[in-house]
Amino acid sequence: MKFDRRFRACLLNLIAVVAIYFTFTLLINSGALNRYYRNILFSICINIIMAVSLNLTTGMLGELALGHAGFMAVGAFASAVITKSWAVSTAISFPIALIVGGLIAAVFGLVIGIPALRLKGDYLAIITLGFGEIIRVIITNLPITGAAKGLSGIPKLTNFNYVYIIMVLIIAAMFTLGRSRHGRAIISIRENAIAAESTGIAVFRYKVFAFTLAAFFAGVAGALYAHQQGSISAATFDYNKSIDYLVMVVLGGMGSITGSILSATVLSLLPEYLRDLTSLLNKALPFKIADPRMLIYSLVLILMMIFRPKGLLGTAEFSLLRVWEFCARYVRKAWQAIAKHLPQRKKKEVTMPEVPKYDYVNFDLPVLEAKGLGIHFGGLQVAENVNLHLMDNEIVGLIGPNGAGKTTIFNMLTGVYQPTAGDIILLGKSIVGHSTHYITANGIARTFQNIRLFKSMTVIENIKVAFQTRMHYTAMEGIVRAPRYAREERGIDIRARELLSVFDMEDVADVPADSLPYGQQRKLEICRALASNPKVLLLDEPAAGMNPKETEELMQAIRIIRDRFSVAILLIEHDMKLVMGICERIYVLNYGRIIAEGTPDQVSHNAEVIAAYLGSAAQEEKEG
Amino acid sequence: MLFLNQLINGLHIGSIYALIALGYTMVYGIVKLINFAHGDIIMVGAYVSLLLITNSGLPYYLAIPITMVFCAVLGVLIERLAYKPLRSAPRISALITAIGVSMFLQNLAQLIFSATPKPYPSTVISTRSLSLGGLTVNLLTLVTLGVSIVLMFGLSAFVRFTKTGKAMRAVSEDMGASQLMGINVNNTISITFAIGSALAAIGAVLYCMAYPLVSPTMGSLPGLKAFIAAVFGGIGILPGAMIGGFVMGIAESLTKSYISSQMSDAVVYGILIIMLLVKPTGLLGKRASEKV
Repeated sequence: MKFDRRFRACLLNLIAVVAIYFTFTLLINSGALNRYYRNILFSICINIIMAVSLNLTTGMLGELALGHAGFMAVGAFASAVITKSWAVSTAISFPIALIVGGLIAAVFGLVIGIPALRLKGDYLAIITLGFGEIIRVIITNLPITGAAKGLSGIPKLTNFNYVYIIMVLIIAAMFTLGRSRHGRAIISIRENAIAAESTGIAVFRYKVFAFTLAAFFAGVAGALYAHQQGSISAATFDYNKSIDYLVMVVLGGMGSITGSILSATVLSLLPEYLRDLTSLLNKALPFKIADPRMLIYSLVLILMMIFRPKGLLGTAEFSLLRVWEFCARYVRKAWQAIAKHLPQRKKKEVTMPEVPKYDYVNFDLPVLEAKGLGIHFGGLQVAENVNLHLMDNEIVGLIGPNGAGKTTIFNMLTGVYQPTAGDIILLGKSIVGHSTHYITANGIARTFQNIRLFKSMTVIENIKVAFQTRMHYTAMEGIVRAPRYAREERGIDIRARELLSVFDMEDVADVPADSLPYGQQRKLEICRALASNPKVLLLDEPAAGMNPKETEELMQAIRIIRDRFSVAILLIEHDMKLVMGICERIYVLNYGRIIAEGTPDQVSHNAEVIAAYLGSAAQEEKEG
Repeated sequence: MLFLNQLINGLHIGSIYALIALGYTMVYGIVKLINFAHGDIIMVGAYVSLLLITNSGLPYYLAIPITMVFCAVLGVLIERLAYKPLRSAPRISALITAIGVSMFLQNLAQLIFSATPKPYPSTVISTRSLSLGGLTVNLLTLVTLGVSIVLMFGLSAFVRFTKTGKAMRAVSEDMGASQLMGINVNNTISITFAIGSALAAIGAVLYCMAYPLVSPTMGSLPGLKAFIAAVFGGIGILPGAMIGGFVMGIAESLTKSYISSQMSDAVVYGILIIMLLVKPTGLLGKRASEKV
């Protein structure tokens, strides 16, 4: 059923794409569209490519970039130099120029992205603005790019076939990318970068990847632009142009590809319509008004943002299929009747992603061991000489008063903080100095005290993000939907649903994560941690905010997880009933030091523990 | 001697950047918004003062305060009408609105005054110069530097010691908590916009005295430079904006005389990029890392 729907959506989109193509080809060939309208049409297509590619960086990855026009400039000038100086048939040189223009822009994206993407938020915005402007100044001063005069006499090779087909290919690539493991990784970074890193996503690498890919598409758009205009000058590609594209993305709805397409179309047409409106008004009115279209445009922009701050479509995608279903139910019935007679597609064999074999299996040695671990922030010693270990399949508690340094220890174990002393051994290898995503991929998964889900992604997508470490298909295979993509995606879909069933959450698989009630959000975080196939699971206050019944269920679930997934569990918890009930051993932390260790019974009778931790409670009881 | 002269030129333009940067940084500090329209407040200030001086024949000492009040009111109006409804919206929506406001002001000015640049009247101070042991310094440079430095220290003292200043600092730390402590957040934000815009008005007059041409898009460039100055110093931090302003001014003036005037923008951006790569939150910015 689900497959049917997707198939129909594809078919419908294909029909629409082909229909639009033939309509406009016919209009152009018959001469109904003169040069003026043709240019508008090409501009719309180029703007759509720019908006959709910027949407990858700003909408999907969630990083504000203000230098996108710079990459367009690189593509425009690089391709123009090629077609102008290379004396072969333009049928050969133009496609090559398009690709090379994109590639050179991508190289710029890579070189700029690697340093710039270490910054965040507004600082990233301003550094990309700076790089974009520097590109422009350099082009203005290079002899090969015509210096201040720019390049002219570029063969006008951009025609509807080129611009439309490339646009459709890029849009399609964006959609397929968005639904591949790479797209999920990129979106998860937007949703919560820290959680993404902790589920095994190489956050920085994906940021650079998205940025570079967007630069590539912008370069191709620039190449098309250069061969549409015939002459280009660097001054066109200033930061105002970058801002124009940013406006398109935000107005369409951040992250929505169809939103970007829609707003790029509307914003390309709007000034033209307003121009017509002005001349009409000037004819009708007794007095002349100056050209107010930019004034109206800016007013529209302000009002749009105030009344629809999330943009035209928000994060939703426009779907032809939904329109189809909405307005033509009877057609669907007819289609179903036809579909019965179509040859049934054979159910493909489903292969499970292989579970990595840990090369170290020795049950006598701990799976995770911290030796003399310590960290200080400035002059503040937060943890000192912490020694702890976890044996295979063990459930161990880490307790202590607030501010004792429990979460700090988790952060050191997962590489979020680098310890200033000591060593951490995971399965016989030291992991100190490694990045969080590396540690996750090698067997430690965690949950967070303050829940960190990928909120706007669905429950099942949250889990699929964490399967990243077990999937192998490349971005290209994801974009072209290669067989390996289909195989692996089908496999993880089944496994993700299996995981959900551990917590009886199969029925909420397709709802957005932030619509779940609190208790289920915590459970989802545990599911997500398990999806990365850990050897050690770190749970940071899993029962916080749960009612007694939910806590009871959680205790059961933790035991089940240990048995079914054969993981060692280290948990921080303040709920003593839970800790004493399921932990086989307990470490007690106070002021960054371990003050006691042992079975729940031993620990709860330890004098120092009672003094430091249970002491006040015991005294109160006596006094009360 | 050329070097010293260029240094002084740099201080001159740098102090104007610093004044404008203060407005950027104050607004950013309190509502975390890059107020793209700030540069256009300069443009409005330039036109208003131009009209007051040439058309109404007002003397400077009257024209400047009126311009300041006009810009302050405009700043508050913009905040109330365009930014306040978006306070809880995604930050990028507010940013786009700011861009919209900037475009609106520019195009409105173009409709009213046309795109042709208008000359700004020259004054006594912009023509007279002083000789200091072989070094000739324009009186305007000294006045600009003096006015800017007095205003900067005045503003610092205001933010540090007055009740309103404390409220501003509190709101920029935590809007919700400030509200619970009885601070009128809306008024505090309005005051911040008013002060920032009034400073931009003074910056506008000083800028026009140095570059006496007024046009609808004249605000973008000093606005952008001032913004870079604010980021360079660590956005949201007042002394950072001042240092950033001076650094940008000096860098620009030295590049223009020793390398090439075309490259001066690239050098300014280059300095910013190097700064951010070395210290990602600007010169005086605190390292902010998300708590896990």
